[in-house]
Amino acid sequence: MLSVTNLKVKYGNIEALHGVSFTVNKGEIVTLIGANGAGKTTTLLSIARLGPPEGPKVIQGDIAFDGASLLNMPAHLVVANLHMVLVPEGRHIFGNLSVMDNLTLATYARKDKENLPRDLDFVFELFPRLGERRKQRAESLSGGEQQMLAVSRALMSGAEFILLDEPSMGLAPLLMYDMFRSLKRLNQQGMTILLVEQNARLALDFAHRGYVLDTGRIVAEGPCDELRDNPEVKKAYLGG
Amino acid sequence: MLETVIQQALNALQLGSYYSLIALGYCLVYGVLLLINFAHGDIFMVGAYIAFFAATYIMGQHALIPPNSPIMVKLVFAGFFALIVTAAVSFAIKKKPQAPGRKNYSYPAILGGIFITVTAAIYYWGQGMKLETGADKILVFAVTMPLTMILTSVVGVFIERVAYKPLRLKGANRLYVVITALMMGIILEYGNLSLLGTSRLSYPTLLPRVVFDVAGAKISITKLTAIAASFLMFALLQWIVTRTKLGMAMRAVSYDKFAVPLMGIPLDAVIVFTFFLGSSMAGMAGMLYAMNFPVLDPFMGALVGWKAFVAAVVGGIGDIRGAFVGGFLLAFLEVIVAAVFSSELRDLISFTILLGILTWKPTGLFGKPKTTKI
Ligand SMILES: Nc1ncnc2c1ncn2[C@@H]1O[C@H](COP(=O)(O)OP(=O)(O)O)[C@@H](O)[C@H]1O
Ligand SMILES: [Mg+2]
Repeated sequence: MLSVTNLKVKYGNIEALHGVSFTVNKGEIVTLIGANGAGKTTTLLSIARLGPPEGPKVIQGDIAFDGASLLNMPAHLVVANLHMVLVPEGRHIFGNLSVMDNLTLATYARKDKENLPRDLDFVFELFPRLGERRKQRAESLSGGEQQMLAVSRALMSGAEFILLDEPSMGLAPLLMYDMFRSLKRLNQQGMTILLVEQNARLALDFAHRGYVLDTGRIVAEGPCDELRDNPEVKKAYLGG
Repeated sequence: MLETVIQQALNALQLGSYYSLIALGYCLVYGVLLLINFAHGDIFMVGAYIAFFAATYIMGQHALIPPNSPIMVKLVFAGFFALIVTAAVSFAIKKKPQAPGRKNYSYPAILGGIFITVTAAIYYWGQGMKLETGADKILVFAVTMPLTMILTSVVGVFIERVAYKPLRLKGANRLYVVITALMMGIILEYGNLSLLGTSRLSYPTLLPRVVFDVAGAKISITKLTAIAASFLMFALLQWIVTRTKLGMAMRAVSYDKFAVPLMGIPLDAVIVFTFFLGSSMAGMAGMLYAMNFPVLDPFMGALVGWKAFVAAVVGGIGDIRGAFVGGFLLAFLEVIVAAVFSSELRDLISFTILLGILTWKPTGLFGKPKTTKI
């Protein structure tokens, strides 16, 4: 479904990815793990086509979706036409809008308007706390609720493939497990997931396959149980 | 005494309606791009001129194009107005979803038909037109107002496309964009000066010279129109930013531009829409101003623009209620100071008071520190 080949990107003159290749198949959960600064966020921003001035610039390699390169596609069309949606690091919810308005705004480019009520019901069933707080300003939500809102927004925008950037960040353990249970449920209903995590243990328990990223390069890859037993990965990311 | 107070209040409301309409434009652009669009006052001036040429042209005075102008010029004008009508119709009837694989030609055919018919109608109507009676002139007003708003917004959006967008794409520091805006304003002023010379145009009377009596105070229809228009525009704008998706997208951009494309929203469309709204309100203000103070000159936008900008800041730039209230606040201050002291002291004292308000509340009356911008 998604294939990244030999991707090199730059921020200004600094190269942040030095030839990254990986694939994600339909219906899979794939995780990209690595230390802080490894280039995980950079990879996701490149896929979501969030480019300069703030984002990275692709200088070599390709990102293809169902075989077609998306390097020339603007970010909003990746969402509108390919239904591949990034849930960014730090959530980036619209704090000055109500929860409901955040969700409504996400349907901007939906063409299948008749499915919206069904999707909204699904979101509130998946995250009942959002339903209770639908009239509140999004700013007033707790960190966990904001993360739920960020995921829900992606669902409302019609995502069939979500890119998650550190969804566990800043969540209390209980909420974190809740969140991952919900994500698992989404996957069981057919959602393809590319998960970026610093919390390698959690990510490897959750995903089917994984890639380990280290300073802009893939250094290990394989099914998650193999990665868990890989001595190098164990030492560097799972605390021995 | 009461009579004087009401009279002054009405004057202040009228003055405030121009300030508010312009301040709203500053506020929208600032909220979305964090750009202080210093060309905005001059967009107001451009609006007044557009309103002048549109009205005089329609009235058959042909200030811009002599009566024996080539057929093409007239056709282009007629076609342009027809385009507006067609766009409005297409918006009203909205395209129905069509079955995949089958092409439906009736929709473009209907629009094409409307376009050609309206073009022809306007062309022939314009040929023998001599608008003399009061009712005719109200018609001229009704046509000139939307035409002015649309043409002015074309100018505003054009400036955004050629001057601000390239800088934004290069990630230029905001300071450069603000300086560019200042330069655009100067270009508009002196462009106008070199195009039309120093001739001060006087605006034709469009609305009947009817004067209402409010508890002894007098108010003309022209003034009343300005006040009503500003309140209507504010209500419309409030509806747009809270109820429509594009309006919500504007607020979203003001809070966090980064995540907007991730909702499938083209950022560019939101920015163009913002300039469209802001400039069309400036155009409206320009026309209303010209109708009440019927002498136009290329620098008329400078001081009014500055004042509206200050009004927007005092109201809390980034909040449309703030901009609206700020405009009226400034107008009332000016009128009160002029009445109590003298009109020479008007700007000195009223701006000192505004300075005091800002010192007391640096984020403006409606501004909240940091969080929201629209
Ligand atoms: N906006 C930016 N400008 C310049 N360098 C950046 C920018 N964002 C990230 N980087 C650099 O790119 C590298 C990868 O960062 P990032 O993708 O954020 O890592 P991760 O998400 O894995 O923690 C880091 O060295 C970081 O300093
Ligand atoms: Mg990161």
